[in-house]
Amino acid sequence: MTLKIHPAVNDLKSDYDKGKMSRREFIRFATLLGLSATAAGQMAGFAFPTTASAGAIKRGGKIRIAAPVHKVTHPAQFSWICPSNQLRQVAEYMSYTDENNITHPYLLESWQPSADLKTWTLNVRKGIKFNNGDDFTADDVIFTFKQWLDKNVGSSMLGMLEGYLDANGIEKVSDSKVVLHLKTAEIGVPEHLFHYPALVLNHKTFEGDFIKAPHGTGPYLLKEFVEGERCVLVRRNDYRIKGADGKSLPYLDTVEFVDMGTETAPMIAAMQSGEIDMIDQGDMSGPEVYQALKGNPKVQIYPVATNQTRVLRMRADMKPWSDNRVRQALKLCQNREKILALAYFGEGMIGQDVHVSPKHPEYCPIETPKYDPEKAKKLLAEAGYPNGVDVNVAVGSGWKEIVRYAEILKEDALPAGFRINIQTMPNSQYWEKWTEVDLGITTWAHRPLGTMVLNLGYTSDSKGAPAPWNESKWVDKEFSELITKANGTLDVEERRKIFCQLEKIQQERGSAAIAFWINVWTIASKRVQGIVSHPSLYLKLEDFWVNA
Amino acid sequence: MDNTKSTSKKNQNSNLDQNIDVPKKGKGRFRDTLKILFSSKAATIGLILVLFWVFVALLAPYITSYSPMEQDWKAPNKGPSIAHPLGTDELGRDIWSRLAYGARIVLIVMPISEKLWIPGGTAIWGVIAALFCGASLGLISGYKGGWADEIIMRLLDAMMSIPVILLYLIIVAALGASAVNVVIAIAIVGTPGVARLVRSLTLDIRTRDYVRAAETRGETLLYILFMEILPNAKGPIIIDAMLRVGYAIFAMGTLGFLGLGMPPPSPDWGSMVAKGREFILIGNPWASLWPSLAIASLVVGLNLLADGLREESMRYQ
Repeated sequence: MTLKIHPAVNDLKSDYDKGKMSRREFIRFATLLGLSATAAGQMAGFAFPTTASAGAIKRGGKIRIAAPVHKVTHPAQFSWICPSNQLRQVAEYMSYTDENNITHPYLLESWQPSADLKTWTLNVRKGIKFNNGDDFTADDVIFTFKQWLDKNVGSSMLGMLEGYLDANGIEKVSDSKVVLHLKTAEIGVPEHLFHYPALVLNHKTFEGDFIKAPHGTGPYLLKEFVEGERCVLVRRNDYRIKGADGKSLPYLDTVEFVDMGTETAPMIAAMQSGEIDMIDQGDMSGPEVYQALKGNPKVQIYPVATNQTRVLRMRADMKPWSDNRVRQALKLCQNREKILALAYFGEGMIGQDVHVSPKHPEYCPIETPKYDPEKAKKLLAEAGYPNGVDVNVAVGSGWKEIVRYAEILKEDALPAGFRINIQTMPNSQYWEKWTEVDLGITTWAHRPLGTMVLNLGYTSDSKGAPAPWNESKWVDKEFSELITKANGTLDVEERRKIFCQLEKIQQERGSAAIAFWINVWTIASKRVQGIVSHPSLYLKLEDFWVNA
Repeated sequence: MDNTKSTSKKNQNSNLDQNIDVPKKGKGRFRDTLKILFSSKAATIGLILVLFWVFVALLAPYITSYSPMEQDWKAPNKGPSIAHPLGTDELGRDIWSRLAYGARIVLIVMPISEKLWIPGGTAIWGVIAALFCGASLGLISGYKGGWADEIIMRLLDAMMSIPVILLYLIIVAALGASAVNVVIAIAIVGTPGVARLVRSLTLDIRTRDYVRAAETRGETLLYILFMEILPNAKGPIIIDAMLRVGYAIFAMGTLGFLGLGMPPPSPDWGSMVAKGREFILIGNPWASLWPSLAIASLVVGLNLLADGLREESMRYQ
């Protein structure tokens, strides 16, 4: 069968040849348009390295990972990464976004978007079996999509998809082909399919509780799951993907996730003593574990830069933040180098008050604003606060780097006239009112595309009301129009041009102050091999093996 | 003090004071107290520890070279040095300054809001509030007896059955973290204990002749409770209060440690321990060691002082 290549791929190729686009960006966009990563890599003139040489790999053995074992029923309801790291070994996703933010087909064999990006054909990979013997077919794909779109399930996938997809827009063409008819053009479909709650379910056996019927297509079987204690996985013998030694993955016999509570100190001690091999930091904030273990000779650290950040966001519909001069004044009070150095120990990149990271493909280089309390004071006076202003900033006390960020800001914003009162609360309480507080610092997870973040956090719905996750309620007509334009623009240079405008607007009149982007680390014992750190800290345990 | 004087005067006048020691006036009495104090080694050590922190708190601006908020971002998490005698915390703030200003919040001033500070430390206000509520309830309960006693004491028993830490957490989590709410929490948690003590003292004192005399004179209930009974029960109450200040400091430390004390960047000892604790494993134990020692020394000091005083005063009696 010959697959049609999306016409834009040729444009991308010519951009790449002219040097308008980096190799990584070419592969990213070409794979998004349905080309396999290998084919795209070949077009770009290089071969993918194999992850491990067959000679070195050893089979068998067990590893223990410290991770919270939360109560789990419906995978689509996940709101934490750690449970997904346990169950993504049992069930799998339709696509796979790798550590370089390139998305590959996974349970799907390929996808083909139409030229207008409104019709997506998903080709289901044939010959895959669930671990209970059922065949994986288009019915499972459709069943899973409908679970996400069902309001009663309450999946965060709904928020991501409902803007462009309805349940009646899903068409089954054959047992191996599904067509999605979108309401609007969307380039991020393959990446959405790898969002952590997007595990593919078995339509024959799934009845709302995955633990009762743990039937997935993945490399491990669920042996034991005790909430708050442990999750034990054992090797599946007939997994479809082969390892470097030509035999079925996974290499390990057993993986045990041990719940050690929320305190990091016992986990660090357990790592030092060799009692555990790894700490799943997917939902853990802060670099304390890295700081404690970086010099340990038994431990290997795998760092990765991310598009994760902490956003100091101001409600643009509430006083005093409704005045852009006040917002700009507070942004000028950020001593960015100091904030990164003290709040996150210098382990990240400086931000420029735009929610597009230097690691996003569309990033347009923009100047970093300087710390300038004098100018901030003038702006405050112009806005009608010559004697300064008292403000409260809400922070979750569990995010240590956010508390430090707030303490630094309080000190550095004082000369400008901001008298900041820090209101700490448990993280859960912050999540209850993260869209309501007038000034707060929110954690934003890693997302591979800049458009994904901007669509979520800084747009309005069709009636002009802020989108559900638009926490600062900042709605700017020009900005919204530019995002819509960017969503349907494939040419990377054109897209970057739009992003240059978007970033300029957000920096000049936006509602978010972004001082830094953080690094994350996969931290494991040296006996564990085959680790590649993912920016979302997703674990791909079938590639892991133990040396002795 | 004035209450005692007027009561004793009245009692002398009515020639009904056989049961009570006539306190010495002014200097003589002070000398007696000091004598009791210094005859106990424990009390002396306790006094020295407590006075040390009181002076540190009073003189904080004069004995520190930095503001407790001043951040030196080039020198975070450093051990003791000449510039920073106890080292710096994770934001490069001088730990000695933070300890000294933290002592002020405990013992000398209470921040009502960012701008309004009132004299009397947070722990002290907590204990005063507990004493006031506890003493009122204990007096009524002990003096009135009957159903009033039953209702009050059973309610307080119910409160005492809740573990103290849990009660602190519930109260502060419900009210939010601030100095005033910490005072409220300390008061609520301390009230049942004070009430029990005062009630048992009242049960004894209410049978005394001078109380009968006051009743015969037709004095009001409030007068009898607060002018006749309370002043004569003050000895044990003062010693109990001293212990309670220690508990209150401990409670402040616990709440701060759990992130429910004063909001950051306030130099709250408990939150200093909590924040410093994160850096023990990366080789900087100082930021949590010093505030832990500060809490321990002040609490131990108050306990020694109270214990010593109690033992000595009992021996003198």
